[in-house]
Amino acid sequence: MGERQRFPRNFNSLKVISEFVAAFLAARGIDPAHAFEADLVIEELFTNMVKYAGGGAHDIEIGLEGDRDVLTITLRDFDVDAFDVTRVRPVDTCTPAGERQPGGLGIHLVRQIADSLEYEYKDRNSTITVTKKLRS
Amino acid sequence: MFEIQTGEGGYLKLSGRLDAAESERALTQLNTLSQPITVDCSDLEYISSAGLGILLQTYKRLLGLGHTFKLVNMQPRVRNVFTYAGLDKFLLIE
Repeated sequence: MGERQRFPRNFNSLKVISEFVAAFLAARGIDPAHAFEADLVIEELFTNMVKYAGGGAHDIEIGLEGDRDVLTITLRDFDVDAFDVTRVRPVDTCTPAGERQPGGLGIHLVRQIADSLEYEYKDRNSTITVTKKLRS
Repeated sequence: MFEIQTGEGGYLKLSGRLDAAESERALTQLNTLSQPITVDCSDLEYISSAGLGILLQTYKRLLGLGHTFKLVNMQPRVRNVFTYAGLDKFLLIE
């Protein structure tokens, strides 16, 4: 059984979300070193929902499940237009820093870290599920 | 909590978590710089794409003014984020 909590859809929620992740890892006996990448994945997906989910007005639900082998992160955004993050165009990391244009980098980071990234849209609710194998 | 401490000769020290909640305030402070900059990242605990974005923006602005922007003493997990983003190949990181 995992943990679920809803957070106001603004960037100031990030601190409380990070505390939520740390508490979950501690309760499951998972190495706290994994908090860095879990925080990063959640921040990128959460801020993406805050910025781009059309019609979004409700709190965003974050779910955590897992053990010492694998962590599953779920973000659920209620009553929004569809925004399939798995279809975001890949970033060309060979483009020199001085020529980079903003955008897309957050999802690129999620793809680099995650072992799987899935999107589901049903009844105007967006659900993103990420799994990450934990290797100490 | 995120902080930028400024020292002599274009030396900066970043500490804490540079996330989306802190990036706008950080950019305002970085935008006041117009000289070659060395950024000590030893106490930078966390960075996201929002943080990368403002450092990249500052690098591009200073480059346009003919100045360098160097990042030093980065923790491995923070450096990994630069590597994932492909920025380690282009930014000056020591």
